[in-house]
Amino acid sequence: MTDKAMKAKVRTARLPLQNKRASLSKESNVFLFMAVPGFILFFIFHTYPALQGIFYSFTDWKGYGDWSFVGIKNYLNVFKDARALDAYIFTFQFAVLSTIIVNIISMLIALGLNAKIKFQKTLRAIFFLPFILSILIVGFIFNFIFSHLLPTLGQNLGIELLSKNILGDPDLAWIGIVVVAVWQAVAFNTILYLAGLVTITEDLYEAASIDGAGRWTQFWKITFPLIAPFFTINMVLAMKGFLMVFDQIVALTGGGPGTSTESISLLIYRGGFEGGQFAYQSANAVIYFVVIVIISIIQLKVLERREAGN
Amino acid sequence: MMLNKLSVFGTTVVLSAAILTGCGSNGGSNDGQVELDFFTNKSESIATYKGLIADFEKQNPDIKIKFDAPPEAETVLKTRLTKNDLPDVMGIGGNATYGELARAGVLHDFSEEEVTNSIQPAYIDMINRLVGPDEKGVHGLPYATNANAVIYNKTKLEELGLTVPTTWDEFILALEKAKAAGETPIYFTLKDAWTGMIPWNSLGGNLVDDEFAAQKNEGKASFAESYDVPADKMLELLKYGHKDNFGVGYGDGNNAFAKGESVFYLQGNWAIPEILKANPDMELGVFAMPVTNDPAQNRLVSGVDVLLTMNEETEHKEEAMKFIEFMMKKETAARYIEEQKAFSAIQDVFQEDPVFEGIKANFESGSLASFPDHYYPAGMGADGILQEFLMKKDKEAFLTKMDKEWEKVNDR
Amino acid sequence: MIGKKTNWPVTVLLMLASLCVLLPFYLTITIALKTPQEMAGNLLALPQTWEFENFSRAIEMTNFFNAFGNSAFVTIFVVVFTVLTNSMVAYAIARNMHKKFYKFLFYYFVSAMFIPFPIIMLPIVNQTSAWGMDNLAGLIVLYVVYNLSFNMFIYIGYIRSIPKELEEAAIMDGASTWGVFWKVIFPLLAPMNATVAILTCLGAWNDFLLPLVIVSDRDLATLPVVQYVFQSQFSTDYNLAFASYLMALAPMIIVYVLAQKWIISGVMRGSIK
Repeated sequence: MTDKAMKAKVRTARLPLQNKRASLSKESNVFLFMAVPGFILFFIFHTYPALQGIFYSFTDWKGYGDWSFVGIKNYLNVFKDARALDAYIFTFQFAVLSTIIVNIISMLIALGLNAKIKFQKTLRAIFFLPFILSILIVGFIFNFIFSHLLPTLGQNLGIELLSKNILGDPDLAWIGIVVVAVWQAVAFNTILYLAGLVTITEDLYEAASIDGAGRWTQFWKITFPLIAPFFTINMVLAMKGFLMVFDQIVALTGGGPGTSTESISLLIYRGGFEGGQFAYQSANAVIYFVVIVIISIIQLKVLERREAGN
Repeated sequence: MMLNKLSVFGTTVVLSAAILTGCGSNGGSNDGQVELDFFTNKSESIATYKGLIADFEKQNPDIKIKFDAPPEAETVLKTRLTKNDLPDVMGIGGNATYGELARAGVLHDFSEEEVTNSIQPAYIDMINRLVGPDEKGVHGLPYATNANAVIYNKTKLEELGLTVPTTWDEFILALEKAKAAGETPIYFTLKDAWTGMIPWNSLGGNLVDDEFAAQKNEGKASFAESYDVPADKMLELLKYGHKDNFGVGYGDGNNAFAKGESVFYLQGNWAIPEILKANPDMELGVFAMPVTNDPAQNRLVSGVDVLLTMNEETEHKEEAMKFIEFMMKKETAARYIEEQKAFSAIQDVFQEDPVFEGIKANFESGSLASFPDHYYPAGMGADGILQEFLMKKDKEAFLTKMDKEWEKVNDR
Repeated sequence: MIGKKTNWPVTVLLMLASLCVLLPFYLTITIALKTPQEMAGNLLALPQTWEFENFSRAIEMTNFFNAFGNSAFVTIFVVVFTVLTNSMVAYAIARNMHKKFYKFLFYYFVSAMFIPFPIIMLPIVNQTSAWGMDNLAGLIVLYVVYNLSFNMFIYIGYIRSIPKELEEAAIMDGASTWGVFWKVIFPLLAPMNATVAILTCLGAWNDFLLPLVIVSDRDLATLPVVQYVFQSQFSTDYNLAFASYLMALAPMIIVYVLAQKWIISGVMRGSIK
């Protein structure tokens, strides 16, 4: 369809209003047909189980057999549960730290990739590679690196710190999990930043360098404000992803040593099925949900304000 | 026109859904063959089970056994219980999970079955105690039993001029000598938390009252009071480890011990086939950890390693029973314990391997104690708490936590 | 830009950094080709001979082709159904945002992104098994439905940027709303469809938690679940384990190498929206 023909049609389209009105109700029926099944299915497989989870959190159901209402006893118990508290603390520390590291590294790589460099396409392809891989399998590979490659290297080079498997140390095991999470997540975030950076034209920098602005000022005055929206998205998405951390931990430590790297998702999975604590862990999941909503809202508010302020 | 298209679209959706479900749920019941799910929590016995299953399928061409041995098997089993999708036949450990399944009323009652009579009654009592007095009947058939012990490198022990210790002091002395000679006395594999439970069970099984769990549930006993000495002795043992006690897992530990990297290895009989796989020429010995200074009081901790049981709701009860009866046959049981270096719960089936010379007397005289941790509530995570204690070495905090977690799990 | 010289320091730094990404791959490939005896030596050394037997052992042990088939089956159907259905729902919502019901739908789907999976996990396991959905078909349905949340985000912005005149013109030609969507809008959505297809494909292929809890039949296990299930059987045979990992990763790597430019630009497009 050429442009002209289309415009002609548009013009004629505005004429027979009557005709159009007659088809309106039919039209809205079609829209309903398109949207409502999706809505119903989503309700059945997402909202309904979520409501069920909330319902069970007020019972003592084990996942099988009889149950009865216990009021808010489960919630009170979660608040008294040191293991749950530890899981929350671990998950948040992990998520905050990983989010920050990922954003710094991926911003640097994106800036590098956006500079005038050789092999730009190849390097970009390499840095994006981890994004396409299964986190679980990557975790298994890194598990080997931490438990065999690094200790052997450490022993050969005489570096005491490296000569032990860090995953076996409750004070260091989290580092291993952060490394794997960051290794994987940098890929996606780099692409997001790169998408933002390529929208900035060279003229802006040229103008700035005429004004005598140094690289540092250039970054803070031009680059950063322009990619700030990407920064916001990255922070929220990365944080949300990291709060759900599960695969990495299963592959690396299984929550150990002790319970030092047990995340909330893992605790709910384990406790909910293995320990016959279905109802109890449902209460935990509800609390988790509330916490995530609060954090997301705060994050969006703060970041939006900062963006607006710039 | 539009209606027409709608119906075409609708049919497509329904059809694809039908195709999808068709593809998804082909249970494999082709030409009248019955498929049985067989589930086990023991990764060490996979090869043995596979061999036995092959034999069974040869004898019963109309039955196919689908075999599954996943990691974190107890979580998987509970998931399947929640889904009302228990496997047809299960070979699981005699521990709290079994007790819970039996109490949930999902397991078959074997008390009227013929095979039950061939089992040593002591082991049936042992697993019935896990279920508690409220649920009557025999819901599992004890099959293989184990020995929670100390494995040692015979060659190294001789080189050091030592003999098998029979008291705690002698044991510590042996560890000291090994250390002085520049050997690693004990190869710990505490990256896998459960391996810490082996010495813990040896200590608890001998130093703590057999009725501890029942008393604890009634509020008449506590870890803080009863487990003070075992906790101290755990820390003492830890002094004789290697450089990276918490960085090495069970699999790597078996390899390391097989390569002669330590004199002693605190493991059960189930580790022996794995060790021999890594080094078939190794000279091994086994003894019960001497926990007190009175040799007569040191018992071997032994429990039901595998019990066979059946889903009460299975659609193929007859075939499942046939498989269980096959497994319980003396020849099959003998082959299982020979390959697995285990002990049989079935009468008149004995483990003759010379490796077990050091604990043979325990079995003959009945100088046995049961695993204390089999009576801990499921989901308490005792192994993780113990692992944490061994790292932080804070005894009071550890014992308090054990008490609290126990009470909390029971309160959920 | 044209006049600028190549920035060599940055190039070199990036190349060094890229080694961090490549090292695990190098390790995976070489270990998968080594013998257990070689593992005692330098772990970073190249394999002396190429031990392809590791692969055949892994294929046999894990029943690789079965798992591969399961993963491929799930991924293909999820991608096709997600693109077809999610774009349609998004279209209906995007064109009716002025109506209360559709506005509600939009916020309903998008706000569901904040509900953490663990809260659904325990009940959905019961529900799917009670309805006979604890199989690959059930898995496909769940993915397609759960994808709605995020994809509304991606699609709706894009659809609203398509001028309405195009549709009105098609209606004048006698096309129904239904026809307009499939004949006019859906083709115009091609770039977004590509983005959604890529993200959905990666998500379904690599997911671990949902198949782990939903599907208990081992014959229906997907590739990541199989790697997990065989952990204890690989034990310390790392050559076998790495051969198995490599085969599980390979299909996506091959696709990536072939369509790398297209995939990256697809993901970039999704992020700008």
